[in-house]
Amino acid sequence: MIYVIPAIFLVVFVFAAIKRVKLYSEFSQGVKEAVEFTVSLIPCLAAIFMMCAVFEKSGLSDALTKALAPVFGGLGIPPELTKLVLIKPFSGSGSLTYLNAIIAEHGADSYIARCACVCYGSSETVFYISAVYFAGIKVKRLAVPIAAVLVATFASTVVACLLCRIM
Amino acid sequence: MNAIFTVIFIASAAAMLFVAPNELLPTLIGGAESAAKMALTLFCIYAVWMGLSRVAEKSGLTRKAAKGLKPIAKRLFKTENEAALENLAMNLSCNLLGIGGAATPFAVKAIGELERDRNEFAQKLLFVINATSIQLLPTTVIALRAAAGSGAAADIFLPSLICTCVSTGLGVLLFVLSRKIKKPRKKAAK
Repeated sequence: MIYVIPAIFLVVFVFAAIKRVKLYSEFSQGVKEAVEFTVSLIPCLAAIFMMCAVFEKSGLSDALTKALAPVFGGLGIPPELTKLVLIKPFSGSGSLTYLNAIIAEHGADSYIARCACVCYGSSETVFYISAVYFAGIKVKRLAVPIAAVLVATFASTVVACLLCRIM
Repeated sequence: MNAIFTVIFIASAAAMLFVAPNELLPTLIGGAESAAKMALTLFCIYAVWMGLSRVAEKSGLTRKAAKGLKPIAKRLFKTENEAALENLAMNLSCNLLGIGGAATPFAVKAIGELERDRNEFAQKLLFVINATSIQLLPTTVIALRAAAGSGAAADIFLPSLICTCVSTGLGVLLFVLSRKIKKPRKKAAK
């Protein structure tokens, strides 16, 4: 696997050089697109991050975690994972912190940690993606696709906890 | 997004009144600060991948690489837009390879192209596919477990693969079903 990334870069650059593409000009033009793209994201990012910060700091996220833990437990999700499952749709870095804490506390090969890893690896930061994808677009009524994604992600979490028990 | 933002923000701000009213402002500023840091991190990732993808596009490599997935993308997303299809195909292949950083710029370009045809279905479907994660190899978590001294860091590969298929399959199914249910209702309302 470690050779995949270098191979991609080499193939693209060598192929482009053969095709006489002006590598430096085109590459920096691509970076320019990245600058514009990143700048266009900042307003949405800032708003979402502020929302997440207040949500966390106000204790609401902890209260929600406590309230939902028994429900999650009924579905086979260990209470230790409640926070991770709730945070993941909002924040990649936040949930990574929890994932690291879970691995450190329970050990990398424990049931809890394996569960957490599968949940983390097979889900995405839904709200962040929706902000990035639809930043410059007028599409409305995102509630249905977002709900579909959240339900599907939750179902896969239940499956993950089940699978880690038997695999 | 507006509804979610309104509900969470108001509820959290109200709860702050009881917990720590004087910390609301610093918390908000801190949130903006982490957004700025995030933007910088993202820029670094996008600078590399968008630079590379521009080179790949100009050399005609993208077109060649996308050829295999294009027919599938055409049927899935119901679009004839060539530029959109290329970006869609590249997004899917980057996702499968596990390079999410490279997948995002292609997705955003595809969404921009689809906007010209007002193909809202394809835009949302692309979002559902990406947001439910279609990674074949969970590289980040495997690396994390290896670093934490796991005996078999990659043994989560199979459960992860099953889960990622479950979430994407179910997400797409729910999304398509929701549109099927909605349509007759709209006609009835008229």
